[in-house]
Amino acid sequence: MSDTVVRQAPQAPATSSKHRSVASPARARRRVRLSSIGAHALLVLAALWLAGPFVWQVLTSLKSLTEATSVPPTWLPQNPQWGNYGTSLHGGVPLTAMLVNSVLSTVLRTIGQVLFCAMAAYAFARLRFPGRNVLFALYLSVLMVPAQLLLAPQYDLMLHFGLLNTLPALILPGMFGVFGTFLLRQFFAGLPADLEEAARLDGASTGRIFWSIMLPLARPGLVALGLLTIIQSWNDLLWPLVVNTDPAKMTLPVGLAYLQSLFPTNYPVLMAGSLVAVLPLIIVFVGMQRRVLEGIALSGAKG
Amino acid sequence: MNRRRTQRWVAAGAALLASTTLAACGNSSDGSSASGGNVTLSYALWDPNQAPAMKQIAAAFEKKNPGIHVDVQITPGQQFFTKLQTAVTAGNAPDVFWTDPIFFQMYAANGALKAQDGAGVDTSKFPDQLVSLCQSGGKLYGVPKDFDTIGVWYNKSLFDAAGVAYPKDDWTWADFQSAAAKLTDKGKGIFGTAAELNNQQTYYNTIYQAGGSVLNADKTASTYTAPETVQGLKFWTDLVDKGYSPSIQQMTDTSPMDMFQTGKVAMVWEGSWNVKPLSESPVKDHIDVAALPRGAKQATMINGLCNVVSATTKHPAAAEKFLTFLGSEAAQRIQGESGTVIPAYNGTQKSWVDAYPKYHVQAYVDQVPSGVPMPVTANTFDWMQNEPTILGKAWAGQVSVDDAAAQMAKTIDDSIAKNKG
Amino acid sequence: MSVSSTTAVRRPPRPGRSRPGRRQDAGWALVLLAPATVGLFLFYLWPAAETLYESFTTSGPFGGHTWTGLDNYRQLVHDPELRQAFVNTLWYTLIALLGVPISLVLAVLLAKPGRRFVTTYRVLMFLPAVTMPAAIAIVWKWLFHHDYGLINIGLAKVGIHGPYWLSDPHTALVAVAMVGMWAGIGYGVIIMMAGLQSISPHYYEAAEIDGAGPVRRFFAITVPLMSPTIFFMTVLTVISTLQMFDLIYVMIGSSNPALPQTRTVLYFFYEHTFNQNDRGYGSAIAFSLLAVVVLVTAVQFALQKRWVHYE
Repeated sequence: MSDTVVRQAPQAPATSSKHRSVASPARARRRVRLSSIGAHALLVLAALWLAGPFVWQVLTSLKSLTEATSVPPTWLPQNPQWGNYGTSLHGGVPLTAMLVNSVLSTVLRTIGQVLFCAMAAYAFARLRFPGRNVLFALYLSVLMVPAQLLLAPQYDLMLHFGLLNTLPALILPGMFGVFGTFLLRQFFAGLPADLEEAARLDGASTGRIFWSIMLPLARPGLVALGLLTIIQSWNDLLWPLVVNTDPAKMTLPVGLAYLQSLFPTNYPVLMAGSLVAVLPLIIVFVGMQRRVLEGIALSGAKG
Repeated sequence: MNRRRTQRWVAAGAALLASTTLAACGNSSDGSSASGGNVTLSYALWDPNQAPAMKQIAAAFEKKNPGIHVDVQITPGQQFFTKLQTAVTAGNAPDVFWTDPIFFQMYAANGALKAQDGAGVDTSKFPDQLVSLCQSGGKLYGVPKDFDTIGVWYNKSLFDAAGVAYPKDDWTWADFQSAAAKLTDKGKGIFGTAAELNNQQTYYNTIYQAGGSVLNADKTASTYTAPETVQGLKFWTDLVDKGYSPSIQQMTDTSPMDMFQTGKVAMVWEGSWNVKPLSESPVKDHIDVAALPRGAKQATMINGLCNVVSATTKHPAAAEKFLTFLGSEAAQRIQGESGTVIPAYNGTQKSWVDAYPKYHVQAYVDQVPSGVPMPVTANTFDWMQNEPTILGKAWAGQVSVDDAAAQMAKTIDDSIAKNKG
Repeated sequence: MSVSSTTAVRRPPRPGRSRPGRRQDAGWALVLLAPATVGLFLFYLWPAAETLYESFTTSGPFGGHTWTGLDNYRQLVHDPELRQAFVNTLWYTLIALLGVPISLVLAVLLAKPGRRFVTTYRVLMFLPAVTMPAAIAIVWKWLFHHDYGLINIGLAKVGIHGPYWLSDPHTALVAVAMVGMWAGIGYGVIIMMAGLQSISPHYYEAAEIDGAGPVRRFFAITVPLMSPTIFFMTVLTVISTLQMFDLIYVMIGSSNPALPQTRTVLYFFYEHTFNQNDRGYGSAIAFSLLAVVVLVTAVQFALQKRWVHYE
């Protein structure tokens, strides 16, 4: 179907189009400008919808509870209450310790995911070994299993390892993922075989080929998986909530849930706390937005 | 050649896996190795307002007992017992923790708590009523920590503006209701009071004040459908219906405590553990407290917490030493002086009252003789967790109070049958 | 979760002429696969088996199982609360799927050659996707506040008295679902833009020459050619909505009167497994949700043949 469209398109109606554009270039340009204004109007509206809440969050975080709950509302904080940030950090939830835990667990989970998934993915994509299809089917079988459903046995596992209520418990299960293996397998499968074969002729071992040739080639894929893992680990609520007991060994999402049970409706303090929790990732994202967006796009194309 | 390299890779991979696991295991054992003489006890609690006092007590204990370190862990609100139960099930409970009567029986009866032979605890130093809250099946499982009663906090500015006289300790339901009516100013969005859906702070009090009850005397059946009990519930639903209290939905959006602190509610019923946050709130300079109004009789919920030791603690000796210290006059006095809660130890209550010269907090202590303990069964939480949903419908006017009460009675009776008590 | 898997698998690794024996491959495969496979068995397969086993048991308040056969499943079939949770989850999914066409339209607007400020738009639109759901929940709870929330303040300006969005059983689900959809748009836009790049501009030029307007071009060219990406986003949205938990936990919570009308199956599972320590029943719920996930995904893949066109 596609072929025919492409082939006949440029020919037949060409004259009519030329004819039309010659007729009224001004009108055509105006139409373009109008449609462009319309498009920008829609886009601005969408951006407002998607990013506006964060502006309101920042503004509210600087108001007193009385000001936040005054009618009619004020837009800008009349007397910025930086103390709300202090309250959220020191009001009974150890957010500072949780921030450290979040960073540690995100970094280590991401390293684990990228490394282990890349190793397995390369094996599945490029190596031949007995039982490959069976094993890959096993991987596929859990691809759709929501990990949260396995919380209770995973908790038991941590208990067996004597890891309950420790930092490694936050990190360990998150270091392994089936989706990543799957994503990267697509990547490796799509890489040209020439380099690999040349290296093999030179006597390079499989491990060397994987590490020095294939991994660098798969970098965009690794970055994509890394970014997805970072976002997922940073934002994960349920696992830390379940596996650890000591608040000082939990991560920021749990901190926010706790903050809310302490200050159920003190919105300025809640806004301040949640801003503290999301800011690190937002800074990382805005700082490397091009790479992040490319990576995400890639994960969609390959996943 | 290739084979050797393969082996090296295998070895490297195995080492990597092993090191992750080992590092992980190593981490878990710090703080739980008793052999070195250095012991870290975890002390779990749920109220961050009390954290400074608890840390002060822990520090005093550490000073007297070098080599024992106490790690205070705060898990706020409802999550505390969710997490505690999971941890106890896993044999991973904190060494020492708080319990309240709602959960105490279940933990004691299921062997989660270490029984106290009484050697380290002098029960004669505590009111009998509070000691009994730490007992199950005739055995002692903890040390009384504190107790609490309920009072009515009121905003004097709003009373002055409405020309209503301040409450007195001998006031009645009728006084309270007429004050709520006069204080309500719909134009300004001010409510006379807040019918918070909170058993201990609101409707259990009025149930017993009306002469009703939640359980029969031997705790074998619910008495939720008794006319007096229903009357105690209607006390609150009437206030909502008449618009003297925010609706249940408004209170979900903004808690009564926050409404009181921003001057939108004139009177709130608050437990003595909330005096400290109130004394630090934006309205602190124009509020005060009175005893609960009397209905058919005077009544307030009285409740007490226990400090307990986990049955599975790895450091029983150190944990019991700490428990003994928590029950000492010195530790209880620290609690009182911090103003956070009324200490349980006989004679230390005054230290709490003295912490608030500005307020009539004596009202909390004066009400003790009319105190009614929280109604508990073998698994109280099993039915109590359904109260907000069931009674919430009556608060919202979706079902009649009688129907909601009947449903509660059935829920409780079912739970008693299921849990054999 | 794969859409393009078919295309990628098409090229099997070439058995190179000069390759040394396969034995070495097997050795290396063992090394490379070991960590991931240990993780797979430890954290996925064994827990799944354990969950299956426990779904046939009943546990006490502090652990210990007794084998009770199909009791949990019998209870499950007759549990009106679970049924409600499934219905709620279905609604969340349907509303979340509205985000797919919205993402596509926004992506088309952004992908137009020569469009200005694309980077700014994309960054702003992607913000929700990097924000943790717990924080999103808190921010939207404030926006939905009856008296002081921006939404009701805005509605009041046009004379509408807004509801108690999050505690009114009639509106709470829609409110939470809209937030779920909102959070997924940014991700959708990025994926869709990537998909649009692979459409050859020739199609549009040809259509323009034929005199097709933008709407016509959208439906005649963009939608069919984007159908693999649309399908991918649909599968992803369904799977992630079936796992919705954080928003309910933080925006609604255990004491909200609208909880029964808003909780998802996953939340219901959490309540039973961890709040009530009823792991046996929790496991049965987990398996019923798992069955639904597998079923829905299978149906989606079966249906895709009808409307997804691969080039």
